[in-house]
Amino acid sequence: MFSGSAAFRQAVRWPAPRIRPYASLSSSPINPGSVGPYQVFDRHAKRLQKDRCALRDGGARSRTVDYVRDEVADRMIERLLDIKRKFNTILDVGSGPGHFSKLLEPDTTQKVVMLESSEELLHRDPDTEFEVEVERIHADEENLLGVVERNSQEAVVSCLSLHWVNDLPGVLVQIKEILQPDGVFLGALFGGDTLFELRTALQLAEMEREGGISPHISPMTDSRDMSNLLGRAGFTLLTVDVDEVKVAYPSMWELMEDLRDMGESNAVVGRRNYIHRDTLAAASAIYKELHGHEDGSVPATFQIIYVIGWKPSPKQPKPLERGAGKTNLKEVL
Amino acid sequence: MYPTSVKSNSALTPLRRFATHTTTTCSAQASAYGKCILATYMDVRKDACKEEFEKFGVCMREAVCMQLVRSIFHS
Repeated sequence: MFSGSAAFRQAVRWPAPRIRPYASLSSSPINPGSVGPYQVFDRHAKRLQKDRCALRDGGARSRTVDYVRDEVADRMIERLLDIKRKFNTILDVGSGPGHFSKLLEPDTTQKVVMLESSEELLHRDPDTEFEVEVERIHADEENLLGVVERNSQEAVVSCLSLHWVNDLPGVLVQIKEILQPDGVFLGALFGGDTLFELRTALQLAEMEREGGISPHISPMTDSRDMSNLLGRAGFTLLTVDVDEVKVAYPSMWELMEDLRDMGESNAVVGRRNYIHRDTLAAASAIYKELHGHEDGSVPATFQIIYVIGWKPSPKQPKPLERGAGKTNLKEVL
Repeated sequence: MYPTSVKSNSALTPLRRFATHTTTTCSAQASAYGKCILATYMDVRKDACKEEFEKFGVCMREAVCMQLVRSIFHS
């Protein structure tokens, strides 16, 4: 009986285990039956949305709605300038058409490598708009190690693209892996309070009109989560801070149109592709009453989490051991 | 921060026309509906503001009809 079952097991031996991508090693799946990270976002749909938005009106619509990303890129470049170092190359993960890369100056870096999953968006703007040398890689942000070598980058930046990544812990680990020791990662991503006005308006409208809700705004990370995730990925000397960009729109409709043109339409797996017009009309009315300004416009909040992390290196300054202090603080104060 | 949007009236899609009705043509009814939700938003259930929404809906339908009639006469 035993030998029989052993023979049976020999016969139907499981196929040799596939080498799992690095990303899936780092996060435990929430759905226990599946292998790999939990899938929240439909990456294929997201790529199509971005491609489409870059092509609409020959890119004119996409350029019109650059305002949020340009503003955040501007605030992020200040943080990069605080690092007194001259880089040979900087890798821009999820660069889009290069909102951040365009702001780089020859004093900071010689070259920038832009990596983006949407080919149309990546090639939207010509090289002449950049001050430094540009290289473009069309690749998936979730599979960095497939295109970039380990220990090869001096600096990695990511400006507003990590919020569409399914496995954020895994991507952070990959970023740490591709960095050289003492390399820096500088990122900006949307925080959980982003578009809370639209989220609440749509939820209330769906609840009242249809008696149930479905996800229309993606789940986003929290600043506390970010510092934990960076620490877990192996970064040191962490800096995490939160900022807000508030934009006023004439009504909810313009906001939704602009979000679509930014390539930021809903891409949650299992989303409803259709919202009833009554629900939309209700949401628009609720948005205005609940959040509207006195002048009739409505606000939309974009919460931005900025993170800085360094890959550990023996040369880095480290905190002294406890009790190593020689001066009594009482004397100083 | 105010985005500068370039919008031409010639490219009025049906959805954008509908959007104008919800925000401009029927703003009074929309506001009444919004206020009703605002009063109950801690405990919203289906059809909690049905009456207000029906008035809003009637106004929107009338506005769309009027638009159709007008476009027929103008063409």
